[in-house]
Amino acid sequence: MTHSHTHAAGRRTGTTSSRHGGRSAAPVPPQIPARRGPGGRRLLAALLLVGLLASVLPWWLGTPAGSLRTTAATVTAAGRITGLIAGYLLLVQVLMMSRLSVLERWIGGEQLARWHRDIGATLLVAVLSHLSLILVGYADLRNQSVLAEVGTLLGDYEDMLSAFVATGIMLVVGFSSVRAIRRALPYEVWHLLHRSSYLVLLLGYGHQFTHGAQLYKPGPVRTGWIALYLLVVAALLWGRVIAPLAFNLRYRLRVADVVAESPDTISIYLTGERLGRLEMLGGQYFRWRFLTPGCWWQSHPFSVSAAANGRWLRLTVKVVGRHTADLRDLEPGTRVWAHGPSGTFTAAHRVRERALLIAGGSGITPIRAMLEELPPGAALIYRARTPADVLLSRELDWLAQERDTSIWYVIGSRDDPGPRQLMSPDGLRQLVPDVARRDVYLCGPPGLVEQSVRALRRAGVPRRQIHLATFEL
Amino acid sequence: MRRALFAITGLAASTTALVVLKGSPGATQVAQNLPTAQPVNPSGPGVDPSADPAAPAADPTGAAPKPSGTADAPTSPKPTKSSTTRPSGTKTTAKAPTAPKTTTKAPQSTTRRVTGPTVDTAEDYGYVQVQIVVSGNKIIDAVTLSLPSGGESDIHSGDVRNKYNGTGGEVVQKQSANLNTVSGATATSNAYKQSLRAAIEQAF
Repeated sequence: MTHSHTHAAGRRTGTTSSRHGGRSAAPVPPQIPARRGPGGRRLLAALLLVGLLASVLPWWLGTPAGSLRTTAATVTAAGRITGLIAGYLLLVQVLMMSRLSVLERWIGGEQLARWHRDIGATLLVAVLSHLSLILVGYADLRNQSVLAEVGTLLGDYEDMLSAFVATGIMLVVGFSSVRAIRRALPYEVWHLLHRSSYLVLLLGYGHQFTHGAQLYKPGPVRTGWIALYLLVVAALLWGRVIAPLAFNLRYRLRVADVVAESPDTISIYLTGERLGRLEMLGGQYFRWRFLTPGCWWQSHPFSVSAAANGRWLRLTVKVVGRHTADLRDLEPGTRVWAHGPSGTFTAAHRVRERALLIAGGSGITPIRAMLEELPPGAALIYRARTPADVLLSRELDWLAQERDTSIWYVIGSRDDPGPRQLMSPDGLRQLVPDVARRDVYLCGPPGLVEQSVRALRRAGVPRRQIHLATFEL
Repeated sequence: MRRALFAITGLAASTTALVVLKGSPGATQVAQNLPTAQPVNPSGPGVDPSADPAAPAADPTGAAPKPSGTADAPTSPKPTKSSTTRPSGTKTTAKAPTAPKTTTKAPQSTTRRVTGPTVDTAEDYGYVQVQIVVSGNKIIDAVTLSLPSGGESDIHSGDVRNKYNGTGGEVVQKQSANLNTVSGATATSNAYKQSLRAAIEQAF
């Protein structure tokens, strides 16, 4: 603790290490995957924006100009607009979490999680402003207090009670996702809370059609809105039920072995059928559900720590919680329900020819898999607190030789002079002179990632060349 | 998080912009053109927008902007209102296939649609027109072809619609025009009852 070793630059390139076990990486190096451009993502973003405009259009066309003369009418109109926007955003939110493979492929799980987060905050604000604007507007029109108006709405308006309940659920879900609160909650509790968002979809449905000024009347607007709902439900069914069912019936994954990589890290090897046809990129992750009495009900995302090889899959997991502790005791033969692959943290999403990879601790796992697929000439900086925290080092050394990769192990605490100097803009430029012309892949603890991104930006790396692996959801 | 703040600011700004654009009279041509396009209807200019021949045709085509305008037309005020004010009781009979729900001329066999007259509400709020669906000698549904709209009227019309209309509404329950007046919407309620009474007389 007091004297952590600081090997600032222990470079190992081309070291001959013949000991790489019977089980390490693929016998034939997989081909370098073709690049996937940002076209799909842009198209989808444009589609979603068009949808947003279209959702407000009925209000615009149905409201005569100059009709909003009183304050109450103006407030009510604003309430309607925010209501339409909130209704649309809710559908977008659910659609983005439908795990549709098209979305995962075009946008990627990490990006989706980020969009989901930002749109979620916007949705919450939209719903709350819809509620308060309508309440204030209606109360003014009926000449009563806002509280009395709440009573009127709850008592005399069909479907309004469930709409209020839906708002309450949404508030709980929203606040439980605020970063500080979320960190304090166990993942399982948070996840269960988040699951109740489906109730919002259900409970919020009715009031839109019984009272929505633009939707209560039969016609193309109402039909279109209902069609949108059906579309999202179909996407949910497909992405969350049918596609995973097909995947798991096809590949039938089972635990083959559990191996300790370090005192607190394990590797789980999986075998199955037809794995040769499994399309997966190094750096991608699955959501895993281990079908044992204690674990079947929760699914967790873990990266695959070796590229596709047609024979087995492997995930490497750091034991940090109750669930991961249970994984140590998995019996060979245990069935595994997997959902994926997802993620854009892959060699296919590179924009440059060469790459720099920065891993922290167990963040090495996706990077280890990706190394097999990156073009030769990549560089890896592996940050770890102590030498014991370095994982998969034998495989990394073997890959360094096989794929012409430079690897620096940077050991020590964040505040030690060595790592601090190295993780600065100048240090990075010294280590990798052409860093500004490389893709940079980052995976590790949030502190390291934040610090590195800042240093990289100052070292002149454009934002689009920086790839982050995040497992927010 | 920065993008979320950006999105929220955008939401607030665009909502304000939309309301302001609509609020200033004459700022937009789009919405004004739509209602004025309706008085081409020879039978009752501007009074009975659902009689617009475009309305039934709009349903199957489903083209985006215009039908959504015409579908909302009954709730939008009529620009030509003052010049075409008609006394209550003007019979606009047998407009059966014009309602958006109907399948043109099919329901002649068992169910009938009977349309009441357009009734002017007191205090110049707007017009009410009721259509009932009759099966045998029972009213099975009630819809409003027009209700006062704009500003304060929207909310009263909404209350009236929620109370009276529909297969489970008060009209179907009571099978008569003796409805309870909706509080806060007396004028609209009375006009509704008047149109409904005429429709019932005509139907039975």
